[in-house]
Order: sequence, then C-alpha cells, then structure tokens
Amino acid sequence: MSRAPLVQRVAEWLIRAACRRLPAEVRAEHCREWAAELPAILDDQSIRPPLRRALRALSFCAGISRTTRQLRRSARARRARNWRTGALPNRSPNLAVRAVLGFLTWLVVVLGFIAVIRARPGPPGWPVMLILVMAAGFDAFCLVDIARAAQVRYLPKWAWVLICLAQTPGGGIAYLSIGHIGRPRPVPPGDAKP
Amino acid sequence: MKLTGPLERVLRVMMADPSAPHYGYDLMKAAKLASGTLYPMLARLQEDGLVDSEWEAQREDAGGRPPRKYYRLTAEGLRVARLELAQAAASAPARQAGYGATRPAPGSTP
Repeated sequence: MSRAPLVQRVAEWLIRAACRRLPAEVRAEHCREWAAELPAILDDQSIRPPLRRALRALSFCAGISRTTRQLRRSARARRARNWRTGALPNRSPNLAVRAVLGFLTWLVVVLGFIAVIRARPGPPGWPVMLILVMAAGFDAFCLVDIARAAQVRYLPKWAWVLICLAQTPGGGIAYLSIGHIGRPRPVPPGDAKP
Repeated sequence: MKLTGPLERVLRVMMADPSAPHYGYDLMKAAKLASGTLYPMLARLQEDGLVDSEWEAQREDAGGRPPRKYYRLTAEGLRVARLELAQAAASAPARQAGYGATRPAPGSTP
C-alpha cells in the first residue's frame, strides 16, 4: 500500500470517509469495491495526460460521496417504512395474537389489583404499597428495555416511552406485546429479503 | 421501474452482451455516467433483483490489483430490460411526432 501513488492514497482516504455514512454491515464491502476501481482509472491509458486521470479519480470520489449520501437516505426511508408497517425481518409479527394476549394480561393485572383493594378496605396498607413498588419496577423495566432495544415496532421509541408512562400497567404491556421485538432470529444466508 | 435516460444507457450496455460481467468503471465509461449516478442505480437494481454481483477471483496476473466486483443482469433483469427498452423504442418516435405537431408553426403569433 505504501508504494501506491499519492493520488490513489488520497482517493482511498476520500472513499473511506464517504463510506462512514453507510451502515456498518455493508460498509467494508462497498469500500473495497470502490477502492478496487481506482487502479483502473489511474491506469486508463485512454485518458491523457496523467493529470487528467488523477482528476478523474478525484471526481470518481466525489461521485462516491454522493452515492453514500443517497444510499443512507434510502436506508432511512426503508427504516421509516418498516416502522409504519411493523414489517421487520426478525419475527413474524402475528399482531392479533400478541394484542389479545397483551389485553388479557392487562385484564388479569387490573382485576387482581381491584380484588386486593376490595379485600382490604380502609386506609391503604402494605399491599397497596407493594403494588406501587411493583408498578414502578415494571415501568422501569419497560423503559430500560426500550432504551436498550436496537429497534422497536410500529412507533418511534419516544412514543412508546410516553405510552408506557401514560398508563402504568397497560402501556408497558402494550409495548411488550406489540412494540417489543424479540431477539432477532439468525437469518439463513441467501434468504435475506431486500 | 421508471426508465430514465441514464438507466436506459446502463441497460443497453449490459444488454449488448448479457452474459458479460461488468465492473463499475467499465460501466461508467461505456454508459458515459458519473459514479454518483451509476452506483445508486446499481444498488437499486440489485435490491430489485435485476442485477447481481460477484467478486472477481484473485488472479496471479492481476499484478497486485485488488479484486473487483462484477455486475451482471439476472434472468429477471434481462426480461425486464428487454421489455423496457422495447417499450422505449416503441414510444420514442410517437413522442417526437407528438411534440413536433404541437409546436407552433414558425411565424405564428405566440
């Protein structure tokens, strides 16, 4: 690499800088592809004098910079589309089943809470305090889960945070049953959908 | 797929010999396109399954040149490209005739 001409080294550096815009999983491959084009440009005998070849290589790099900006834009657009539709490559989103299970869980929790209140009328005693502590713990669990998730379904993260805080067991249960994405399944090679 | 001018040029180059692989600079020169136009287009074509790519095997006679990535039309890509280019060829004379007909005659008041 140290024998490569200065123009080539500058151009490789420009391409690496442009590739930083790309998602990590495709960065190295694109960078390798584009850097491999440089010798072809710099050895292109149909362009004369050599100074014009150097300029051509630099303008190639400018085009790569435009390319990575556009690829980043389209990757963002795709991610935004996935949010809205809930279509993520990880797990088949059986929305109806998840929503019904979540609702049933919420019903059990609320009815259980009412039963406890009924059983011990009067000034709130330790059962109510215990429930409040559990509720706070549950909220904290949901918020930490949202914060650590790489991606959530249907809504942006901040919206799920608001939902979790707005209704204590219900919002968190809705998030866990609908918005939460489990561990991604390993995608078999060659089966990656675009 | 919308057939733009640059896309049409790339498809024509690749259709000239559908089995021949092309690397990026080769396509840039043949289709007279800038890298900033060509590579986003290749990425989209690949995403749509019309083009696939493979890395060149490392050769002894390459003189230390890094392996290139080669692009080639898929069977689906070939079908779509034939269809699109035929449609473009069919509609181009009609479009020109229509455009000429609506142009005001020389000397007429605007």
